[in-house]
Amino acid sequence: MCDVRKKWRDESKARVDEKYGSTDCAALVDFREVLGRDDIDAVHIATPDHWHSIMTIAACRAGKDIYLQKPETLTLREGPLMIQAARRYGRVVSGGSQRVLEDYRPLVDPCWAGELGTITSIDLSVGPRSMACYLPAVATPPEIDWDLWLGPAPWEPYNPGRCDGNFGTGGNSWRSYVDYSGGSLTDWGAHHFGGTIFAAGLLHLQPTTVTWHPASADGTVAAYITLVYPNGVEIHCNRPATLRPTDAKAVVAQADRGITIRGDGTAVAPVPVPAYRGTGGIYGDFIECVKTRERPFRELELGVNTMTAPHLVAIAQRLERSLEWDRTAQRFANDEEANRLLDRARREPWTL
Amino acid sequence: MPFDPTTLDGPFTALAAFEWGGDAAPLGVIDAAVVAAHGDAALTADLEKRLGGVISGATSRAAKDYACRKLSMIGTAASVPALVPLLADRDESHMARFALERIPAPAAADALRQALGTVRGDLAIGMISSLANRRDAASVKPLAALLGGDAATAAAAASALGRIATADAAAALTAAKIQPGPVADAVIDGRLACADAFLAAVNRGSAQAIYESIAARIGDTPTTHRDRVVRIAAKSGILACLDDTVAL
Repeated sequence: MCDVRKKWRDESKARVDEKYGSTDCAALVDFREVLGRDDIDAVHIATPDHWHSIMTIAACRAGKDIYLQKPETLTLREGPLMIQAARRYGRVVSGGSQRVLEDYRPLVDPCWAGELGTITSIDLSVGPRSMACYLPAVATPPEIDWDLWLGPAPWEPYNPGRCDGNFGTGGNSWRSYVDYSGGSLTDWGAHHFGGTIFAAGLLHLQPTTVTWHPASADGTVAAYITLVYPNGVEIHCNRPATLRPTDAKAVVAQADRGITIRGDGTAVAPVPVPAYRGTGGIYGDFIECVKTRERPFRELELGVNTMTAPHLVAIAQRLERSLEWDRTAQRFANDEEANRLLDRARREPWTL
Repeated sequence: MPFDPTTLDGPFTALAAFEWGGDAAPLGVIDAAVVAAHGDAALTADLEKRLGGVISGATSRAAKDYACRKLSMIGTAASVPALVPLLADRDESHMARFALERIPAPAAADALRQALGTVRGDLAIGMISSLANRRDAASVKPLAALLGGDAATAAAAASALGRIATADAAAALTAAKIQPGPVADAVIDGRLACADAFLAAVNRGSAQAIYESIAARIGDTPTTHRDRVVRIAAKSGILACLDDTVAL
């Protein structure tokens, strides 16, 4: 186990020791110690998002296979570099979205069975992107290595609300703040986009256009974003209900998640839904692929493709305008300001 | 409705005295102005000048942090002189790079490259990181000169050369005489990155030469896990370079 916080190190070690009836589990502070060990074949990266790319690339170079918690990336530039490292060193890298084949199965099955025909559009609702953190400085407790917790993120003073691991995204959790996370947009977005993109067969694609629909002048209609994929499928992110069509030929929905998938009702041959390899859900899929060297269910490329969608939404929201995404170049077309947001400088000594 | 720049006077006064934990509402006004400045050269210039004043003034770390973030969005060559002095400051260097790394003007890259020649240790690694992210080909020579220095800086330089991945970068990495250890590992990683870039650009000959050189160095019976992984990378690269019609 490796964590910069003593509380989590101790608790995690205790759980492992209890399971195996031993005290063998090492409790480390610095992930580089884990990667330097030849008796480690695979690692599970479950840190805040700002560490995902550096740890993944370092682990690939060290010859480790990786189960990487979603969202796989914090910025658009990270994904291709992570994929390059995984392919270069022949690593099995699974992203973590266990919900695609679980929570979103009621969407997946009818889509893949061809019941909707050709998918035309998706509506989904997801919470806000992350925000700046201005929390006041608090004395740093001795049980956290604050410098290492921050890692590549800008130095800002310790405050428990900055680094708390609760699942809130409205403040007082790392998931809320732009230096560490994309907010609910990428946190829950990894699941909502992940489930719908998988259901609609968009996993190998990335959007080409991002359309910003501003709020109405009288404020009665909120702003929203439309992503368009190369095959014409549209994903509407937070489109107001009053603007959603009601005449679709075929529909499947999860109302509690604000998700609707529409099709044209044409005859489409069913395709079997891929299953996890091995046993034990998505974690078992990863372990099985470590043994067989197959690519896992949510292999890194597919996770990166999925996360491209909410990252594009976040940038369009921040700039309040429409954008064109060039997947080959991995840049925005004709928008220098948007391209500034592809990545961010990492705090020394951390590099990609 | 055009943005009224006089509404920024109060927020910038507040920003100059801002500390973490303070009232962030004035910063929200500046945030909105930065968004509104798109396509408005006059507003952009006004904001840039004000933000530069925060950078250069006797303002708090929190204020400079915020100003650097905004300059990363709208800064131009005009902001570079205000940011340069921060590059050598242990507390401010990263956020100065936060702006400079994103400012597309050549003057920003020049500033990072010049600072590379004067700072040491972690600050030098920061400059290297930003130059790598900019894929600054003009940095190849100074980066190559660092391959013989302290291990951490040399490893960062090797990685950066792999990101830049020009023919000169690959040549510098190939020519490096490094003892086995972390720096040698970083040089190999850098060479593999160059080879992958050449392959992606359909420059198979140059790519294959690197892969074969690395494979020959590792040999057919690697004894460490790392060497086995590198052999996988090199051999995979060689296979990728081969014509599709060649039987494996």
